[in-house]
Amino acid sequence: MTRTAAPPDLLPGTLDLLILRTLQTEPMHGWAISERIEQISRDVLQINQGSLYPALHRLEHQDWIEAEWKTSELGRRAKYYHLTPSGRRQLAREADEWTRLATAIGRVMKLA
Amino acid sequence: MTLRDLYLRLRAIVRPQPVERELDEELAFHIDREAARIAAAGGDPADAQRLARRRFGSVALVADQCRDERRVAFVDTTVRDVKYAFREFRRAPLTAFTITSTIALGLGIVAVVFMFYSAMFLRADEVPEPDRLFEVRRPPEPGAGAWVAFTRPDYEALRSQTTVFTDSVAMITGVAARVEGRAFNGTLVTTNFFETIGATPMLGRALGRGDDERPGSEPVIVLSHRGWTQFFGSDPNVVGRSVDLNGHPYQVVGVMSAGFRGLGITPPDFWTPLGRLSQLRQLSSGKEDSYAIDIVGRLKTDVSVEAATAALSTWAVANPALKEVGGHPKSIRLVARRGSLPISALDGLLGFAPIFVAFGLILLIGCANVANLLLARGLARQREIGIRLSLGASRRLIIRQLLTESLLLASVSAAGGLLVARLTLDAAVRVASAVMPPELSELISLAALAADWRVFVFLAGGAVFATVLFGLAPAIQSTRVELIRTMRGEITRDARPGRARDALVAVQVSASALLLIAAAVFLRGMMSASAVQPGLRTHDTVFLEMTNEQRRAALLQAVEGDSSVAAVGASWPFGIGGTLAEANRVPVEFKFASPEYFDVFGITVLRGRLFTKAERQPSAGVVIVSETAARRIWPDRDALGQTMTLDPFERKGVERLGHDVVTPELTSRSLTVVGVVRDARVGHGMFEMVDAGVYVPIDASSAGASLVLRVNGDPDEARRGLIERLSPVDPAMGRITTVRTLAGLAGNVLALASSVAVALGVLALGLTVSGLYSVLSYVVARRTREIGVRMALGATKARVARLVLSQSFGPVGVGIGAGAALAALLAAALLSTSASAEIDGMVRVFDPLAYLGSAAAIVAACAIAAAVPAVRAARIDPMTTLKQE
Repeated sequence: MTRTAAPPDLLPGTLDLLILRTLQTEPMHGWAISERIEQISRDVLQINQGSLYPALHRLEHQDWIEAEWKTSELGRRAKYYHLTPSGRRQLAREADEWTRLATAIGRVMKLA
Repeated sequence: MTLRDLYLRLRAIVRPQPVERELDEELAFHIDREAARIAAAGGDPADAQRLARRRFGSVALVADQCRDERRVAFVDTTVRDVKYAFREFRRAPLTAFTITSTIALGLGIVAVVFMFYSAMFLRADEVPEPDRLFEVRRPPEPGAGAWVAFTRPDYEALRSQTTVFTDSVAMITGVAARVEGRAFNGTLVTTNFFETIGATPMLGRALGRGDDERPGSEPVIVLSHRGWTQFFGSDPNVVGRSVDLNGHPYQVVGVMSAGFRGLGITPPDFWTPLGRLSQLRQLSSGKEDSYAIDIVGRLKTDVSVEAATAALSTWAVANPALKEVGGHPKSIRLVARRGSLPISALDGLLGFAPIFVAFGLILLIGCANVANLLLARGLARQREIGIRLSLGASRRLIIRQLLTESLLLASVSAAGGLLVARLTLDAAVRVASAVMPPELSELISLAALAADWRVFVFLAGGAVFATVLFGLAPAIQSTRVELIRTMRGEITRDARPGRARDALVAVQVSASALLLIAAAVFLRGMMSASAVQPGLRTHDTVFLEMTNEQRRAALLQAVEGDSSVAAVGASWPFGIGGTLAEANRVPVEFKFASPEYFDVFGITVLRGRLFTKAERQPSAGVVIVSETAARRIWPDRDALGQTMTLDPFERKGVERLGHDVVTPELTSRSLTVVGVVRDARVGHGMFEMVDAGVYVPIDASSAGASLVLRVNGDPDEARRGLIERLSPVDPAMGRITTVRTLAGLAGNVLALASSVAVALGVLALGLTVSGLYSVLSYVVARRTREIGVRMALGATKARVARLVLSQSFGPVGVGIGAGAALAALLAAALLSTSASAEIDGMVRVFDPLAYLGSAAAIVAACAIAAAVPAVRAARIDPMTTLKQE
């Protein structure tokens, strides 16, 4: 049961990849994840902030990320997500897949 | 599904509140954090919250999408369905009640039959691997009825010479004994019995090695759960108590659990070692080894039944101690002995089928009522369902909703069914104990059957089947509605509920007719059975068995001196009927009888004379024959004065072990017929009993002879008094039975069958009548406007009443016809079986009076049921009805 909660300009499944990639370095809460994605993509990928959460919950159910309640920078409790071992493997797989797709599209664009 | 997923889902189901709170907190944090960012970037703090919310989108929608990710929606829906169903029940409580109580009633009484079936064919004793327990049997020679019995030495030989069993036991069941003056039913077993079978005691200990042969030490008994509850009031301190058993002190050492019934259907009251046989049965010394026993073994796990049968047959052929009977080869058969009958459950079902069908008809009639009710309500439901469909509910959703409703009704019905079964059984036991003659109720201590898991499964399955079939099917039909027309209030008429209603009523009537005809046939059979004049005096006579030769003289003196005894005769064997013999090579039953015997029983002499006072020994050389026996032995001449050679069957090599151990000797085998008496027969049909055809003289003082007494006043009272007064003379006194009870056995069975049939018939008719009544009432209620118009246009009250009544003519007529045809068909089928002669002797299956009477009863009942709505229709006031529009 894969849902595409991402905006139409994002390829299906891309949001999952972005979340996993963002969490690779350190545990983060939801807002920080959306902020980081926007910053790194230099505001090109303006994802709907709300749509991030169903994706997070889905990834949690798939055992790719795990949540933990920690005190945040605001001084109150926030739900921090971090990658699980199986999440890391999934990230590697999806990243590979993405690179292959990107290369293929790049080639097509060059040739066409 | 990962483990983590399972955990998260479970947590969401089991503890929904914290999960919801966390979700709210997480989303709220995001918005506050975003607002903080906007404020930090120099935005208006008052505006920051609003902007943050706008960037986030709908919180409610996001929360909902997050919940969807949990995929536990089915729980919510189920809870919602259940709530909805309960709302539905509250809205129409009478319907819900009618459905559940009708199905509970029908199912409950079918469950009673199932409990008997289960006890006889499914239930095994609660011991390890009951399916490996087998009884060793010797098939009978052709023509002889009983199995060839084994004896104790046979058992010892089998145990030491064969290796197919891990161990084997010997037992004697049905040993009557008096414990503290009350009649107990005991089983004697070898001391390895409990260990081999694997039964462990609930209290105290079971029998063990060493309990058998310890002369001088106190003998021991182990009580069954039944014996413990019935005779010792479930006393927890019974272990260690000393009880008086046939005049000897026995120590109670243990109580077995209720789940162990000693490899039979009903448990004995106690077990005691086989070594005590001579104390319980008055045996001439040395006869212990010729007493018949059952041999049961636990088959080794690596030995198949076929291999074991072959090995044991080889052993039997090679064993010279096993006597050959009638030149028949000595073969062995293994019969399952697990606590239920050694008949496969399927074969048992065939035998039980008629009873299941008879009781199932009640369930069928009840279900027809339910279906009728739901058909009527279906119209109302149709509009509701139409509205829900048009509001966007999927058909799947609605069917699931209806299924939930049905299953809820089913579970309530199943619980009610269990209650009905329990109450029915308790009532049946109480009635049976009250109706049964005291001799039987002393012997057969009835205990209500316990409900085990099989009964629960049966009830649950039956309830689901009934509610789904009769509740859900019409409901699913009602989801096939045309939306637009339903919304407009038009009901689609494709289902033709009127025709379905008629068919249901016809089915009910035919089922009732079938049951009522059966009841009437049994009732008539019972009446004619009680009208038959018995050929021997039954109303004031009593049989008294003597088992203790040492006390014979004292007992005889006490009986003769008893004030309630008017006359004393003697006979052997005990009871009505004789023992097989050949008289001039013609097989007959013969009996030893004292000269007084004929007077006590009122057996009249036709030709010749009775025995004289002096002729009270077989050596007198005289014999009396019955008229039938006389005709059979000497078909072409008068029996009087003829000489006969009498050969009891025992002399022909047929083993008759374990019957009557002390047998009077037939000292003279050449006898002269001095008299011909009238046949002494009682009962009829399957239960007819004929006293002997040949009588040889005997005296009451002869070893083995039983007494026959004519008593003053009521025989049951006399019997009670005799037991009381004779017990001190001989504590191990044998059976005392009124002849009325023995002779009444046929009547008892018929009375039982007819009372059950009448109860079923009345129940069926009651359900049918209530169904017919509600159908007609419903029809009248729905057609009130039409009837009002008819009356306004000039229809008379009589015409209107006739209109309503005529609605019931068709289905009732068809039902009676079909029921009678079915009954006749069944009767014809019964008569074509091998049992036809016996059935015909007891009841007349084509009794026209039974058929006509049943039809009349149904017509009368249905007329009353239809009259009420008909009168209501005739009372409709056209003005009021039309004004309501």
